[in-house]
Amino acid sequence: MMKAPVGGALHRHRIPAISTLALAAMLALPMQAQAAGTRAGSIISNTASASFDTGGGAQTVDSNTVDLRVDELIDVVVDSSDPADVPTTPGATNQLLTFSVTNSGNGEEGFTLSAIANGGGDDYDPTVTQIYIDNGDGVFDAGTDTLYTPGANDPVLDPDESVTVFVLSTTPGSVVDGNRGTVSLVATSKTGTGAPGTSFAGQGEGGGDAVIGSTGGDGQDMGAYIVSAATVSLVKSAVVADPFGGSEPVPGATITYTIVATVAGSGSVSGLAITDNIPADTSYVAGSLTLGGSGLTDAADGDAGDYNGTRINVTLGTVAGGQTRTVTFRTTID
Amino acid sequence: MRRLFLILAAAILPGQALAANQVALDNSVFVERVTTDANGKQRVKLEEPKVVVPGDKLVFVLNYRNASAQPVDKFVITNPLPDAVRYADAGDSRPLVSVDGGKAWGLLTDLTVRQPDGTTRPAQPADVTHIRWAFQQPIPAGASGKLMFRGIVK
Repeated sequence: MMKAPVGGALHRHRIPAISTLALAAMLALPMQAQAAGTRAGSIISNTASASFDTGGGAQTVDSNTVDLRVDELIDVVVDSSDPADVPTTPGATNQLLTFSVTNSGNGEEGFTLSAIANGGGDDYDPTVTQIYIDNGDGVFDAGTDTLYTPGANDPVLDPDESVTVFVLSTTPGSVVDGNRGTVSLVATSKTGTGAPGTSFAGQGEGGGDAVIGSTGGDGQDMGAYIVSAATVSLVKSAVVADPFGGSEPVPGATITYTIVATVAGSGSVSGLAITDNIPADTSYVAGSLTLGGSGLTDAADGDAGDYNGTRINVTLGTVAGGQTRTVTFRTTID
Repeated sequence: MRRLFLILAAAILPGQALAANQVALDNSVFVERVTTDANGKQRVKLEEPKVVVPGDKLVFVLNYRNASAQPVDKFVITNPLPDAVRYADAGDSRPLVSVDGGKAWGLLTDLTVRQPDGTTRPAQPADVTHIRWAFQQPIPAGASGKLMFRGIVK
């Protein structure tokens, strides 16, 4: 029967009585054709046959068989999965970048992961806190995904297999709107890396050699955060109308206050609210509260504003950069 | 008694055993590597296939020899392509090929492949399953020759 190959090429001479067809069937070892190529350890077996006639009828002779074992090609590709820079804010923690790591070689291979945050070409260095390996659903969840510890749970991938990797970072508090910070995820073959063609004798899957492919045995790709901050400025103004048609602040005069909130920057502010105490010696004019020119009731109800006896409050919620909100109310001088 | 046995044995043996002594077919495989030297010149080298990975170009060399004392006629050499090898070319030897597992034969440019939707398209090198050289002339006694084809490890 067949002997297991021990080297790259095996030459075997056989008795030429077995038909080529039967031999081909015998040598039909499992061989997967994949994008990554023939699986490492597969045997490529070649036999030719000659048929001829020397006058006594057709005869057939088979050649020797050459068996080649396919060695392992080590290749890995890392891709950033985020379609655009990921927005972050100054001081934010657990900011998520998503990558995929694909074994583009032809053998099972383990990979060490690392993150580079100080690669330059950006405005600041995010502080990478953790790397997680996805459980397969593609969505980060610290409860179900696996916290990566180098050397302890390095991903082992079959040819063409991919794994999703999450990188979590903290954004420094000192960054300002528009700053960009990059993080590269690096995956390194555990068998080795080097110039394409570098080989590691006997370390390939299936007992052959491992050979570094075009990727050099390591891959990396860059993801980026973009700081999207916003600032709020408030401008308050007052207009006095006295009962005599003038603008003297006398008892009985009405003061109309206008508060303009302006949000600037590429980000937005959330939970924005405007609160103003009614000054002493003045009285709030019931039902005078407006937002953007529309009246608000004084009760704390479905609309954004209320007056509780001492102050007005208007809840603005999330306001994007570049927008303004205008609140007005009136008081009378006691 | 001993002599009689030998005669009987010779009578029982099929002709193929004799043919094996008359026609030899040797098969060897090399890896074709292209290197670029310092002057930017490309060099093609055939190496022993010590390390073989997907994408490598293999050169299959078939040496045949008619060692008998008489010419052999209808000489046909057939090489089924290993599953993990994609046919590339056979130099200028214009072999017959099969793209259907050895049922039909022809020049690659004459063959078509039926697609799942029922239409046909011209056969490509990647479709080739078998390669065959059919000699038009008898091989004279003592004559020998060499054939080759290239394939790429899938």
